[in-house]
Amino acid sequence: MLAINIENLYKKYGKQMVLKGVSLKIQEGEFYALMGPNGAGKTTLAGVIASVILPTEGKVEIYGKKPQFMKRFISYVPQENFSSPMLTGRENLMYFARLMGYSKDEARKLVNEILEKIGLSKDADKRVSKYSGGMRKRLEIATAFFPNIKILILDEPTAGLDPSARREFLGLIQEMREEGKTILLVTHIGADAEIASKVCLMNEGKIVAEGTPEELKKKSGLKHVLNVETPVKSEKVRAVLSNFGEKGLLETDTGYRIYCDNAENVSPEIVRALDKIGYKIMKIGIEKPTLEDAFFKMTKKENRDEIDERDNSDFQ
Amino acid sequence: MNVITATFNKTLKEFLREKSVLFWTIVWPIIWVFIDCFVFVSGAPKKVIPYIKGSITISMMTFALTLAGMANLPGNISRDKERGLLTKLKSMPVSPWKDFIGRILGLVTFSCFASILVMLTGLACGARFSGTIVSVFQSIIFFLIIFFASAGIGLIVGTSIRHVQGAVMTGVGISVVTASISGLFVPYWSLPSILQRFSQVYPVSSANAAIIYLLLGESYVGYNPLGINQVTTTIILSFSLFVIGLVLYSKFCWRRE
Repeated sequence: MLAINIENLYKKYGKQMVLKGVSLKIQEGEFYALMGPNGAGKTTLAGVIASVILPTEGKVEIYGKKPQFMKRFISYVPQENFSSPMLTGRENLMYFARLMGYSKDEARKLVNEILEKIGLSKDADKRVSKYSGGMRKRLEIATAFFPNIKILILDEPTAGLDPSARREFLGLIQEMREEGKTILLVTHIGADAEIASKVCLMNEGKIVAEGTPEELKKKSGLKHVLNVETPVKSEKVRAVLSNFGEKGLLETDTGYRIYCDNAENVSPEIVRALDKIGYKIMKIGIEKPTLEDAFFKMTKKENRDEIDERDNSDFQ
Repeated sequence: MNVITATFNKTLKEFLREKSVLFWTIVWPIIWVFIDCFVFVSGAPKKVIPYIKGSITISMMTFALTLAGMANLPGNISRDKERGLLTKLKSMPVSPWKDFIGRILGLVTFSCFASILVMLTGLACGARFSGTIVSVFQSIIFFLIIFFASAGIGLIVGTSIRHVQGAVMTGVGISVVTASISGLFVPYWSLPSILQRFSQVYPVSSANAAIIYLLLGESYVGYNPLGINQVTTTIILSFSLFVIGLVLYSKFCWRRE
């Protein structure tokens, strides 16, 4: 059954077109990730589906109806921490349960069950201001555990979480998926999108590619990627490394990712070349391509100049 | 009803648990009651001192109400805007009107609580009133008029200023400045004539003057604030501010982009 259907969607803010003819279909129970750099239009698209943003043109349907008539079945978790720090975890959930129309007794029962499910029973009566980032995010996503919720829209939910909290959080999303809920995850982190059943790559308001993570990696044509970690980043290093990346070079937080066909042969040459100009390498290794690599490769093909100059720190 | 009671509970709890809200709305007016009652009445004849203290107490109850409406309400709205709660609410089956009613009821309850504490402090400091039961009820209506005017200004501030600190400080600024120039802190007769005119037009100070008139008599006010034109102007201005604030709140805070 089709849960979300979007056809030819456009959204304009002033003179800027943020969504440029987006069409996608999400089946019921699917874990769908929208991935792309900042400014790709992901949050706007999620906002339109969640009925908080009005589209300029195009069709948006949730189970065949307009999103504003399906609010009871959607739980939207925006980027910001929307829970009240002055209230306890339990009080926050009670507030949302009551807003969803549950009576006081129903809400109380339901909140107890949900707190147990998200592992916050012990801390339920602590004020949210005392919660860690991970606990707070878990509490906020818990609003999707209300029985009537069928679609969960998560906008950059792991931003600002430490690796352990991030893993816990992704585990919770998996649990929701097991309950049969449709999940739409908006992220710029490739590793988060890897667990989705389907990934949609977005760039500059358009869909670049769609498929399972494996399909997308295959589609990119990349077999191996050379990951080079350097203590410093400089134009000199970049210039040297770009000679080896005939398929492209991506700057990351820790160094560079080099896209080339003969990674095994190139590695020693890279070490020598950098050594020659007085730069050391901390780590060099051949890795399987990630979704971020696939994204880079696909958008590079489409718009080479702009992507080359893009600040790749948009991706982690 | 669910949305209204849930929003009411949330708003009231947030007000009661936020230290800065408690300070500005309760402690700050109470400090002024103490200062005014013990420092500024020493030169007055002994017989009238309790009534001067009564007048000070009423003004500080008004001040607490204006701070609640002009600073706490915009702070509450801006905080919900800033942390994405309003975005979340827009995606839920929640009527903006019910959310609004819940917020206002929370604010009314908190304001009553603050005013009663200020009044008890005044009474403990020796303040006395001389009104009848009827004039007490009439005074409550004027307190409501003060509340609506303040909440109206608060809604305008909360809607137009995005950041919490900015909204709160603007609200505090407006309430302190208008209280100073409209005769809430000083006697009406000590104001220059242009500010006396402002004091009669500004709904907060004119309603405050009406309460003092009802509970203490004209000699503690300096003019008759209960003339038909005066009362009508006060009511119209107060409700106009509230309606403008309400329209702006529903238009800009709940609008789908």
